[in-house]
Amino acid sequence: MNKLTFADLEKYEKTMADSGPNWVRVSMDTGGIAAGADTVCTIFEKGVGTLGFPVEVRHVGSLGYSFADPLVEIAREGMPRVVYGRVDDEVARQILQDHLAGRRLLDDHILAWRNRALTFDGPSTHILVKDTSAEKGDKSQFFQFSLAEELKRGNLQDKVQVVRALDMGVYDEGVAVQFLPSRVTYTNVLAPDVARIVKTSVQGKKVIDDLLYKKPDKQVRVVMRNCGKFDPESFQDSLRYGVYQGLASVLRGMKPEDVIATVKTSGLRGRGGAGFPTWLKWQITRAVQRTPKYIICNGDEGDPGAYMDRSVLEGDPHSVLEGLIIAAYAIGATRGYFYIRAEYPLAVSRVEKAIADARAAGLLGENILGSNFSFDAKVRLGAGAFVCGEETALIASIEGKRGSPSPRPPYPSERGLFGQPTAINNVETLAAVPAILVRGGDWYGQYGVEKSRGTKVFAVTGKVRHPQLVEVPLGVTLRDIVFDLCGGVFGSKAIKAVQTGGPSGGMIPEHLLETKVSYESLQELGSIMGSGGMIVMDQDDSMVEVSRFYLRFCVDESCGKCAPCRIGGYQMLQILNRVARGRGEKGDVERLRAISKAMQKASLCGLGQTAPNPVLSALRYFEPEFKAYLEGGVSYARKMSANRPPEPAAAEPANA
Amino acid sequence: MPPETVPPELPTQLSAWKDEEAALLESLEQIEHKHGFIPRNIAEEVSRVLEVKLERLRKLQIKVESNVRKEVDTLVTKWKDEEGSLILILHEIENQHGYVPREIAMEVSYALGVKLARIYEVLTFYHYFKLKPPGRHNMSLCLGTACYLKGAPAMLAEAKTLLKVEEGCTTADREWHLDVVRCIGCCGMSPAMVVDGKTYGRLNASDVSRIVNQTTQPKAAS
Repeated sequence: MNKLTFADLEKYEKTMADSGPNWVRVSMDTGGIAAGADTVCTIFEKGVGTLGFPVEVRHVGSLGYSFADPLVEIAREGMPRVVYGRVDDEVARQILQDHLAGRRLLDDHILAWRNRALTFDGPSTHILVKDTSAEKGDKSQFFQFSLAEELKRGNLQDKVQVVRALDMGVYDEGVAVQFLPSRVTYTNVLAPDVARIVKTSVQGKKVIDDLLYKKPDKQVRVVMRNCGKFDPESFQDSLRYGVYQGLASVLRGMKPEDVIATVKTSGLRGRGGAGFPTWLKWQITRAVQRTPKYIICNGDEGDPGAYMDRSVLEGDPHSVLEGLIIAAYAIGATRGYFYIRAEYPLAVSRVEKAIADARAAGLLGENILGSNFSFDAKVRLGAGAFVCGEETALIASIEGKRGSPSPRPPYPSERGLFGQPTAINNVETLAAVPAILVRGGDWYGQYGVEKSRGTKVFAVTGKVRHPQLVEVPLGVTLRDIVFDLCGGVFGSKAIKAVQTGGPSGGMIPEHLLETKVSYESLQELGSIMGSGGMIVMDQDDSMVEVSRFYLRFCVDESCGKCAPCRIGGYQMLQILNRVARGRGEKGDVERLRAISKAMQKASLCGLGQTAPNPVLSALRYFEPEFKAYLEGGVSYARKMSANRPPEPAAAEPANA
Repeated sequence: MPPETVPPELPTQLSAWKDEEAALLESLEQIEHKHGFIPRNIAEEVSRVLEVKLERLRKLQIKVESNVRKEVDTLVTKWKDEEGSLILILHEIENQHGYVPREIAMEVSYALGVKLARIYEVLTFYHYFKLKPPGRHNMSLCLGTACYLKGAPAMLAEAKTLLKVEEGCTTADREWHLDVVRCIGCCGMSPAMVVDGKTYGRLNASDVSRIVNQTTQPKAAS
């Protein structure tokens, strides 16, 4: 491939376009493939040949709706675009037959659009209907029938199709209806409303105000802007969708200082968890005079229950690479590394391909785009050690040693990889950088609250109805994320707590769900933002068990270098084990607190310092539960935790 | 040796040879049982044959070892110019063999000029590297938080009783290896597990035996 020039990139900027009128996009990320996306994709690839008109089948990254994997997005000329979820082989064949050939949408598999409209921009051709309230006693079928009957009465049955949806993106709002292609959404629709919906909205194209769902979509996709849109393995597609435009504008005339200034305006902070301002990290590394300098992309996503980095690396590797190149330019680095978990083979192969393609096009190597900036990047594999997400341990691992952290200072920006100045940024941070440079720091800074600006991807999992990835501006409340975006708790049970930050984070009880999510607010509650895992727990989950689970994780992963972490963690685990068996001793709660304090104060690295967090936050908000284990034994405690809502920390402990 | 040049089947002599030895041992035991001891002439003859056999065995061993050396040498030359290459080399070995055999680790130590202790320091630190060979079928049960909450511990207990092994162990007949992994990133379909590279999601404890049967007897299941 010829080396790209600025002119080429400009041309791509102008010709950014969608593909033909008919296409099928299959989400081929790890989650999708595990759910069977590859066989689904083969069925489409074979099937489209027999249709008699051109249909482009593409592998794309994930849209984030993990609960409905495998996802397939379909565009058919003259029909609204739709996303199908839970597509197995049989459904794929039906889509080919009914949707692509027969022009009819399928029941029970469509995900309604989240970017809802407030007015009609044309005649409706399809109506999605779904009962969003309870999981049992579903009234969708009844409403589908009555809407269809009503349409028949108006002689519209051939023009408008009524389809049952899989998911509406709104929850506990009664029966919801979405009109396609306008995406106007009605909620709390009752049987008497059917007639006026057809009359006013379908025939009259007017919005019925009292039914209209007006809340805008809470998601803002910056990091995941390209996920699910194009084939991440295709360099051409990436260019056509505007990747590398940020790099072009940087190299066309921005000084490194300007880049750092733009990132400073945006307020972007490290998305790996600690939230150190990205611009400051770059400036400090830039200020150090020694060369060569290194830049590392930290893709060692070890938190169980967090998979946003994987999704971004798999869905849009070129944007992360672009961010890495820009960061390298800003700090003056000449070499870069992607440190990715070996457990993510697909992410590794896609990033490797992205690097090879970019190098062939002259976006890596000597004199990038004709400037005097030279930079090259490589992939290094992690090997399943949680502690390697920590900067100094990660550096040791790239150097080929065991991943033990070392004391800071000196910070990596001073003495990092191979003793040279090094900046380490998270995948999400780097993926946000190109968007910031294309659209400006102010644009990114408009999202968020106070010191936490911009958007953050959260992986909401656990006992939630619809586990998925959501990208929201910082400052939305936990309740918004769990209930409005993900549908609340699975099996209509009561929520007990949300755990954020993985094994280094803490539990946030139900009464604090109105908290606005930001680095500071979560820290105040005794948790951390972490990499963005959010795990929902319901009344059945014992907090003693859960905190023991997290602590065991940290004890397993402790590298054993410093005593507070190695011994303290083990002792705490012993205590929790006996408490959970109902053999706790008097004073165990106090002992747990004391050891936690010692670990927080004296451990060498973040792993040890934050390992007690799950236990401490459980003690802070759910101490009665621990007391119940100590005083009444296991079966009593289980009964208590299942039947009773959690009490605030100040409340009286349960009487045994 | 790159995997594609491996003959698709083991030499047939190998299994026949194992049986031969067993048969020889059995007949010697019979003689011992009959006479109460092994007569001197028989013992001498057997030991003479064994001498010859051992010499041949040594040759065989050297053959296999030189193979190991060649394999390690290609890896080392491939990554020689890379700083901190040890982990990369170990990754390749792990991916080829499914574990890191001791002989190969020794060869790597020799070829790189790194002490064996240093190599084992790295090997034992990272969960990804295994020191024991995997089984014919491998079950990795996800024990990430989402799976944990949704019933993975019950699945683990079921798998343990079914396969009669502890986590991280291989059954005596080397058929099954049971492993617990951190998070396979399929939290959307938790609880999940990976059996021989295929991911199964939205499971409960009773599914474990079905999947085990399906994997061991693919024909009977279908």
